[in-house]
Amino acid sequence: MIDELTMEVKGLHLWYGEKEALKGISMPIRRNEITALIGPSGCGKSTLLRALNRMNDIIPGCRIEGQVTFRGEDIYASDLDANDVRTQIGMIFQRPNPFPMSIRDNIVYGPRIHGQTKAGELDELVERTLRQAALWDEVKDQLNRSALVLSGGQQQRLCIARALAVNPEVLLMDEPTSALDPIATAKIEELACELEKNYTVVIVTHNMQQASRISDKTGFMLMGELVEFGDTESIFNKPQKEMTERYIAGRFG
Amino acid sequence: MFATGQQALGKRRSADSDRIIGWVLAAVASLAVLTLVFIILFIAENSGKVIGEEGLWSFITGGIWRPYQSEYGASSLITGTLLVTAGAVLFAFPLGLGLAVYLSEMAPVKVRRFLKPAVELFAGIPSVVYGFLGLILLVPMLANLFSGQTTSGFCWLAGSMLLGVMALPEIVSVSDDALRSVPNTYREASLGLGATKWETVKKVIVPAAAPGIAAAAILGIGRAIGETMAVMMVTGNTALLPEPLWNIFATVRTLTATIAMEMPECVVGSTGYSALFLLALILMVIILFINLAARALVARSQRRFTGTPAGRFEIWYEKRTAQFMEVCGRHRLQLLRQALKTALVFVFLFFIVSLFAPFGEAVVLAAIVTAALGLLLTDGVRRLGRRRVQTAAHCGMAAIAVFVMLLLTVIIGYVVINGAPALSWSFLTEFPRAGGTAGGIYPAIVGTLELLAGTALIALPVGVLAGTYLAEYAGDGKISRLIRDAVDVLNGTPSVVFGLFGLAALVTWLGLGISLLAGCVTLALMVLPVIIRTTQEAVRQVPPELREASRALGATKAQTVFHVVLPAALSGIVTGAVLSLGRAAGETAPIMFTATVVIESKLGNSILDPVMALPYHLYYLASEGRADPSMMYGTALVLLIIVLGMFAVATAIRIRSERRSR
Repeated sequence: MIDELTMEVKGLHLWYGEKEALKGISMPIRRNEITALIGPSGCGKSTLLRALNRMNDIIPGCRIEGQVTFRGEDIYASDLDANDVRTQIGMIFQRPNPFPMSIRDNIVYGPRIHGQTKAGELDELVERTLRQAALWDEVKDQLNRSALVLSGGQQQRLCIARALAVNPEVLLMDEPTSALDPIATAKIEELACELEKNYTVVIVTHNMQQASRISDKTGFMLMGELVEFGDTESIFNKPQKEMTERYIAGRFG
Repeated sequence: MFATGQQALGKRRSADSDRIIGWVLAAVASLAVLTLVFIILFIAENSGKVIGEEGLWSFITGGIWRPYQSEYGASSLITGTLLVTAGAVLFAFPLGLGLAVYLSEMAPVKVRRFLKPAVELFAGIPSVVYGFLGLILLVPMLANLFSGQTTSGFCWLAGSMLLGVMALPEIVSVSDDALRSVPNTYREASLGLGATKWETVKKVIVPAAAPGIAAAAILGIGRAIGETMAVMMVTGNTALLPEPLWNIFATVRTLTATIAMEMPECVVGSTGYSALFLLALILMVIILFINLAARALVARSQRRFTGTPAGRFEIWYEKRTAQFMEVCGRHRLQLLRQALKTALVFVFLFFIVSLFAPFGEAVVLAAIVTAALGLLLTDGVRRLGRRRVQTAAHCGMAAIAVFVMLLLTVIIGYVVINGAPALSWSFLTEFPRAGGTAGGIYPAIVGTLELLAGTALIALPVGVLAGTYLAEYAGDGKISRLIRDAVDVLNGTPSVVFGLFGLAALVTWLGLGISLLAGCVTLALMVLPVIIRTTQEAVRQVPPELREASRALGATKAQTVFHVVLPAALSGIVTGAVLSLGRAAGETAPIMFTATVVIESKLGNSILDPVMALPYHLYYLASEGRADPSMMYGTALVLLIIVLGMFAVATAIRIRSERRSR
């Protein structure tokens, strides 16, 4: 069922200067699923995630070989605009990073950049995305307050709402809960499961329970290579490779 | 239910516009920098004539400066500059270091929060106001106190004292930064070994911060050396070496004062004209060396804590020191150092004692008193015991802080008390009459505000865009380092050199005439490096996460810079800009040959007409000496209100943004 395939990575190599950070990764990313990437620190999982919407382009000295396709198109094609790629494929970062503006302005920033300026539409959008991010009830009376007064968990949900406001198809999440407390983490996880219905989600996580709780597919990475990729259940219950088993058993990492 | 994006991926449209914006910014930045480089070349080129006729060496070493008889020997001017500066640092460095130690190590947070901006206020007071107060307070006071040594009171000492006060904020803030960058673990380690706070400061913190503190002293020298108006108004301006050289009551003349005094009388293109450019060039070279030394020292202090490898010069220096140690022996070297330290204390004491003894035979007496005092002090400290030394040191530092605050209060209070009665509606709204001795200062206020507005209009957009380019686009290559160096050089260039440039290049060469426009451009060039630097700093402090967040939403680089980065950096940029404009508003030297006239009976109606300006008006009234003192006080007060008002605005913005980010 080729239709289900939103993105596909084919033989992806990536260098930071001389250092090869990704060594030939291939994996599918299916529509309306959560794909989790796990592995020890420095294994390249965040790098891989950032390669999926060309965020690595900003880093000087970064070089890429191989293909990443999005709806069948290579996102690294030379005549393609990286900014458009990022509009379609949004990203949530490790630490909540709201702009130092009001809550409302944070959300309408993206749509405004892309030329949507009608006040009515924007108001509607603010409410809709904040509801989607399960933040509306908490902030509906203080939309004009600075986003910096929110708690860490609220800030992260605001960042999710902000990413949703540009109407992406894929959401990339780079350890979105690593800076949050357990309660806020639970809310974000719940939210991710909710988002799965309408979006395709790729999440990098340090936390194996998190991967097993929320994801449909899991990839285990080690030293720039994708060691194993498959259904989350089979990865966690009967891994094929010894390294995967050892990592999941908590013997290193 | 809503549709997820189904439109096809776009084909590079925003990438193109992004590149165009990058080019535009690069063009603005290089324009700004090219102008700055042009200034340097222009000054060098114009000084060629006198080098050709006199020879560089005989120009520098010649002892007689009589331009009207074509005798150009600048050695007395160079010496004058160096002497006044040395005196200033001797006066300001102990005060500044003491205050910095108090601020960073001893003061309670509340006191610090109040004291820090108060010290910065010293830097906000215009140089002409310092000169005016020196003329009206300090000079008569010196003439009274030391009637044996000086009859007029105009002297090297007066210049040094004024410059010392003016250099104080620079010394305090840079040493304070150096002290505060010493890791806290050092303090804890020392206190944990049972050392008192003072011992920790003296034996651990100050030595650790020594390179930064030395840099502070050097930057203070740099600031003092380029000062024009204040020095010119109190040093007497005779182009002769003091007799004997250490006679601090002799009149002297500095390089800057010479440029400011002789510029208006020179024929364009004459040898005398060229000689002034050469003086400016010498001044810039001196300052360049000073700044290079400061930069090397700062780099060294950073290296201490970060462990970056040493440069070539440092390796050479360390090898030499090691060799030297081997030859002399460690113990003897230490003795030498001790002896030097003691000698320095004695020289300082002698300096103070000799102030109160007339010259001649009494010098011997003064020396004896000094020796006795020195022994008493060093011995006394040893006998006090650790706790008492700690208390005494604490009191000493606090006393310095109180003294400096008192100084500030006296300076501002004196102007306010004497100036307030002169302020009236008619003073503010009427034209001056009878050569400025009566009437009001309306045109000067208007002129200053016009100059300020024009300067902002030119310098702000160019400076902010150039600074943004340097911070966001330029990277760290050779070219951007070159640009940064050029900006640094111009940042240290004395204001009178900008005045010289303005007169030669804008007024004469471009034919703008003495006009508002020429003045604005000159002032804009002067503040441009500051605005570029502060913008660069403010932009660089915006956390990279915000840029990533914006790019991840599909914003282009330019959109990110203009909608996220610049707004986040805004308060920093505005603070820096307002501060630098406030300083520009109080400047006299750059506008006195480019924009101002002495008296106007009606306002000019085009930007090519000259204007009056408050700082120059104050200088004119003070140096003419015929005016009703209340006119001077009133003018000084209005100027102070404008400048300090801008200063207050900048501080308020900074405090507000600090509070918000917490």
